[in-house]
Amino acid sequence: MIQRCFSALVLSFAMLASFKTFAQNPLFKLLTSAKTGISFRNDINETENLNVLAYEYFYNGGGVAVGDINNDGWEDLFFTANMGENKLYLNLGNMQFKDITKAAHPLLAGKPGSWKTGVTMADVNGDGLLDIYICYSGKLSDDLRRNQLFINKGNLQFEEKAAEYGLDAINYSTQASFFDYDNDGDLDMFLLNHSTKKIDNMELAKYRTEADTLAGDRLYRNNNNKFEDVSAKAGINQFPSTFGLGIAISDINLDGWQDIYVTNDYNEQDYIYINNKNGTFTEKSKDYLRHLSHFSMGVDIADFNNDGYPDIYTLDMLPEDNRRQKLLQLQENYEAFSLMQSQDLHKQYMRNMLHLNNGDGSFSEIAQLAGVSNTDWSWCPLFADFDDDGYKDLFITNGYFRDYTNKDFLRYWGDFKIKKAMDRQPVLLMDLIKAMPVTYLSNYIYKNNGDLSFTNKKTDWGITQMGHSNGAVYADLDKDGDLDLVANNLNGEALIYENTRTNANAITFSVKYTGKNSFGVGTKLYVYTKKGLQYQEVNPNRGYLSATSLNLHFGLGANDKIDSVVVIWPNNQKRTLKDFEPNKPYLIEYNPSLTTPSITAALKPGIFEKKNPLILYPHEDFIENDFKRQALMLFMYSKVGPVLAKGDVNKDGLEDLFISGDKNRVGTIYQQTPGGGFRMRDDLNLGDENVSITSAAAFADVNGDGFQDIYIAKGGYSVVEPGTPNLQDELYINDGKGGFTLGKLPIMQESSKSCVVPGDYDGDGDIDFFVGGRVIPGQYPRVPRSYLLNNDGKGNFTIVDAAFNNIGMITNAKWFDFNKDGKLDLVLSGEYLPITVFINTGKGFDNKTQDYFKDQPKGFWFNFEIADLDKDGEVEIIAGNLGNNSQIKASDKEPAEMYYGDFDNNGSVDPILNFYIQGVSYPYVSRDELNDQIFPMRRKFSSYKNYADATIHSMFTDAELKAANKWEITSTQSTLFKKIEGKYTAVPLPMQAQFSIITEIVVDDFDKDGNKDILLLGNKTDNRLKIGAIDANYGCLLKGDGKSGFSYVPQIVSGLSIRGDVKSVIQINVKGNQYWVVAVADHPIQFYQVK
Amino acid sequence: MRVLVIIALLSMGVSAEAQKKGNPLTVQQATLAISKVMMHDVVNPPAASRFYSYSLMGAYHLVTVKNKSYKPLEQLLTNRPTLSVLATKQKYDYEVAAVYCILESGRLLLPSGFSLEEDIAAYEQALKKSGLNQETVKTSIEVAKDLAKQVVVWSRGDGYFKLSTLRRYTPVKGDQYWYPTPPAYMEAVEPNWRTIRTLFLDSAQQYKPVPPTPFSKDTTSKFFEMAKEVYQLTKPMTEEHAAIAAFWDCNPFAIATSGHMMLGFKKFSPGTHWINITGIACNKVKANFDKTVFAHFMVAATLRDAFISCWDEKYRSNRVRPETFIIKNIDPKWEPLLQTPPFPEYTSGHSVISSASAEVLTYIFGDNFSFTDDSEMMFELPARNFKSFRAAAQEASVSRIYGGIHYRDAVDAGVEQGKKIGEYVVRRISN
Repeated sequence: MIQRCFSALVLSFAMLASFKTFAQNPLFKLLTSAKTGISFRNDINETENLNVLAYEYFYNGGGVAVGDINNDGWEDLFFTANMGENKLYLNLGNMQFKDITKAAHPLLAGKPGSWKTGVTMADVNGDGLLDIYICYSGKLSDDLRRNQLFINKGNLQFEEKAAEYGLDAINYSTQASFFDYDNDGDLDMFLLNHSTKKIDNMELAKYRTEADTLAGDRLYRNNNNKFEDVSAKAGINQFPSTFGLGIAISDINLDGWQDIYVTNDYNEQDYIYINNKNGTFTEKSKDYLRHLSHFSMGVDIADFNNDGYPDIYTLDMLPEDNRRQKLLQLQENYEAFSLMQSQDLHKQYMRNMLHLNNGDGSFSEIAQLAGVSNTDWSWCPLFADFDDDGYKDLFITNGYFRDYTNKDFLRYWGDFKIKKAMDRQPVLLMDLIKAMPVTYLSNYIYKNNGDLSFTNKKTDWGITQMGHSNGAVYADLDKDGDLDLVANNLNGEALIYENTRTNANAITFSVKYTGKNSFGVGTKLYVYTKKGLQYQEVNPNRGYLSATSLNLHFGLGANDKIDSVVVIWPNNQKRTLKDFEPNKPYLIEYNPSLTTPSITAALKPGIFEKKNPLILYPHEDFIENDFKRQALMLFMYSKVGPVLAKGDVNKDGLEDLFISGDKNRVGTIYQQTPGGGFRMRDDLNLGDENVSITSAAAFADVNGDGFQDIYIAKGGYSVVEPGTPNLQDELYINDGKGGFTLGKLPIMQESSKSCVVPGDYDGDGDIDFFVGGRVIPGQYPRVPRSYLLNNDGKGNFTIVDAAFNNIGMITNAKWFDFNKDGKLDLVLSGEYLPITVFINTGKGFDNKTQDYFKDQPKGFWFNFEIADLDKDGEVEIIAGNLGNNSQIKASDKEPAEMYYGDFDNNGSVDPILNFYIQGVSYPYVSRDELNDQIFPMRRKFSSYKNYADATIHSMFTDAELKAANKWEITSTQSTLFKKIEGKYTAVPLPMQAQFSIITEIVVDDFDKDGNKDILLLGNKTDNRLKIGAIDANYGCLLKGDGKSGFSYVPQIVSGLSIRGDVKSVIQINVKGNQYWVVAVADHPIQFYQVK
Repeated sequence: MRVLVIIALLSMGVSAEAQKKGNPLTVQQATLAISKVMMHDVVNPPAASRFYSYSLMGAYHLVTVKNKSYKPLEQLLTNRPTLSVLATKQKYDYEVAAVYCILESGRLLLPSGFSLEEDIAAYEQALKKSGLNQETVKTSIEVAKDLAKQVVVWSRGDGYFKLSTLRRYTPVKGDQYWYPTPPAYMEAVEPNWRTIRTLFLDSAQQYKPVPPTPFSKDTTSKFFEMAKEVYQLTKPMTEEHAAIAAFWDCNPFAIATSGHMMLGFKKFSPGTHWINITGIACNKVKANFDKTVFAHFMVAATLRDAFISCWDEKYRSNRVRPETFIIKNIDPKWEPLLQTPPFPEYTSGHSVISSASAEVLTYIFGDNFSFTDDSEMMFELPARNFKSFRAAAQEASVSRIYGGIHYRDAVDAGVEQGKKIGEYVVRRISN
């Protein structure tokens, strides 16, 4: 009864809430220029001589700077126009502005005939007044490109003093940032520039040995208002291949010194310049990040998950909808990709990247999980708390005037040119330019859900204006306590959005620091509330071509209270303040007598400690590309090693290890010595990877002689053929004297295997095997054969028919007495299968999954583990899936569907994966890939446009689809299956468990609190390029509460930072110490200990 | 100039001159319609030769049925279909049927074959006004459609549709091997083309060329010398060399880039160029219908075998292109005059197919047959005069060195390879 009432209450509350949402106006209200007085437009005029083909950054737009130029408490605005006149608007209050450009300085509007780009407001000369720095670019004369510095005279008038200050650079400038890199108390300048040279070939390593004085970025040191170019000695790259589009300054590693993030368009990667505290920087993008945006544009650095660590977000060009994904070019060229890798460039993919700071020098890239990876051709990202709920939301401008990556345009515009030539009409450049389609987009705004994910709120929050927006800022323009938005539009009026939120509290801080940095650039604020921590840095240098407010705004929700605010000043002195009232602006002034040194707490030792390796094995895999064999797969299946197995081969009571081979060595036994070391048995050859590929191994005494024999299963994909000896598993018999001889196995070469599981399933006292089939090389996703091998007691095996032999693509299996009848049942995981249970009837095996599982999500299921996590006598199952951090989405309601068959009757399998994008299921395959796989499709879809909206039902007839086979995925989440009311029910694991593919699962009480914890390892790098490396897992430790509840343990607490694709993990006892041996593809074998 | 006029007429559907004579569409015009569709579809050069051979096969069969001085397919080809002409009550006009069959075969075979429907409709319209007996026309169309269908059925067994079941090209480690080239780094074109059924040749390997000059980075080696020759020819390039290279570029899809923009510029592929030359020769001697069909089919079939033979060698020797070698070892900023085609270097495809075609054309029209080649005018390339087919082939071959996309030995061996194939075809025709 009580429950019913409660649910009724909840229901009515929900109705009320939804009613309220409907009744309410959107959060943001677009103000007219009539209201604001801001009629600024960035109009560009395309001509035969001035156009995007003459200057490729023609549509990159202008910037906005916000700041209080007259210190009256109202934030003023400056807009740059590429070709037209810049505008300086004085804030008169009440959202009304006055154009004072001409009066402030005749040249503030920009040099006539020039090309203006970014703008910054900063107190360059340290007199307490904000100055304005304007960047210039364009293929014009040097003088027209000379950047300008307008020094604020304090009377709403400015003086142009760039030359005097040494800042009249003639580079192709994008944006300048003023900050104190050497902690000497004044503001220095980083100038972000871009190349204008066409670089068609990819001899990038050679370009990286050159310096380009106009394209390379510059760092200037402020020597008493004379700026000195220190780029070279500070270690700033000067390459002609740098196309700088975005810059953000932040103390990324929180060491008290400002770091620099620079984005680069095209093939040159982004740079993270980490401050060496001695005037120099080291570029650490490869060390910090696992992969990057490819055509990076704007960038923001902010702590979006309120853990006190700054996170990094970069923008790229991947569209959200299926249609534009299919119409526009995606980069999927394996040769170009590997060419870049071979020249020491980082992995780069075309989508936005959200790098979550793990606090230990590593970042997990989770833009796809967070839901902010696809925002089309995007420019300016800004994290700020727009709804004042205590979590920073995300605003993104986007739009590119002409879709010149349209594939029909690429492929078929040539026809138009020939037709013109045949009609003997001249072909003008403008014909070409005007042939490029124009698409208007709306900007994106996302609400931060507080759980690492975001929700698109374009419509609810009123960000729906169509256009092309570039630079943008947020600021509380009307001083009503919330953040308004301003964006610079190409060929349109600037957007001024007034924030109308009413039902939350917020607090705004400005700081007053000392000396020549009175605005306190670089100051850190930690706001502690009942709900937790919020962190921000005074750093206006972020976004795109723009400078945001110097004020720091913190949302407090409806009733959160501030406990204290910790300020860390640029000199790393700290002050703690209390007693703040919400909805009031506060000025925090520096007072040296009220500060104490801020000491960065030394990292506490983690739960795990990486030990010196007891075995030196730098694993090095072969380079293979499975997609050359079957172009339409999602993942590669070739890389399966290193494989680990443990056993005691010489009965000395010490655990020995089997490790499979690699490019440089054969698989062999590493025999533990009494001294606690391992001796590699170089007298053995238990598998040469040049001949066949070891995919699984298990020790077992198959002939009952008391010595451990070893079964080695064979797998691989690209170079092996089904039905050949390369896929024949091997059984090595221990001769008791340290030798191994090849034993006999039946012929079993039909599939590439994933697992070998010993168990006495028939209870006759000997060890039998289940061997799982993973894939048929060349025939993905047809069902590979799995094998049940029966032992005659002497180590002779026969293949036994069983119900699970042809069930699907098996990834792992375990023998386990599920129904407690004394007989071993078989539990299986597999790609496109649910976790499946075969009950051993004594006569055979019956699939009883239905009986045991309430939820049977079909997943990619790379692995699983069985354990009793809550000591209730019933086991739980933990299953590792794809995770939620990829383009592939699937649920019960919107399953991913894999149709496969030989649609064109040419003897090859055509796998067509479909999944839902914005409510409709579309094929993932591009038109080019499809045409290469099924030639008749070339006739069916005669253009990219024709294919852009195609679904599986427009590709194939109902009869064809009926004849085809189909797999499904209904969940990509790694999941805990717990018995509730007698049946296993799916319980999702925490968000952090969904960051990546989980391939290894370990259950143990790692933190020794008496409760079982779960360690999830994984990652997978060798995927389709349009999926990219899935690599955000560094060892995800989930702390158990003893009741099957699990919470994520941050990497700095777990002490784990395991990079790369984990293939095997095993626990081994060495001289009484338990080690976790972790085998990662293309990495050395690693050893960890729990403290 | 003439090509331009023909196209204009074709798009109007009726040739005023032809109207008087009866059949309102010539073999050349029908073939050009096919060429245009292939240009739209960006059909790669080997695949284009395959489409030509099938499009003209039915037409040639009709000629051999009518005119016993031309060898029937069964005697001519090593691999051949058994085609038969539909038994009809009415008479058919084999010229109308043959021309119609060219268009119909193209319609059925080409990716954008549907776009030939317009040309076919225009042809049908013109036939109505041609003064020909409409019953005869109707029957001719039936015969053509039936024959085109037979050709298409036979084409299905040639290995083409199996290509997608085979492994794609995976770059081989080593500086001597081909790697995709700037600016688009396109994947290798047709790495398994050797598996396509030949017409004259007994196999792709029948005229295997000599192995290429051994690779070496030693600056005194023969290979390095060859690379240097290519490099130095561009420093500076003479106007004559540049004109020759451009004239024979025949790149069906050269990609121009500007920032994120990529744009494909189209031209007729090398095979099309030789089909056009065939048409020019027929026009010059005012060849009758039978000879015109014969010449076109022979050149098409020769092109097909020449491409198969050449592509067999390309993916055997798998040699690095000058562009890759030069930017790595001589000058990182070098760019060839022509865009490097996306497949291995040895032997030069244009050399093989030009020499083979020239042998066959010389047999048909005689040596020292001078002609003006104006078939590239629509690409703003002025006409060039040649004193013989072999001279034209020689220029086409050497143009690849000027263009910076081939070494000299690939041209020399390619010419040799093509010549042997051409001579073999001539023996098959004449014996």
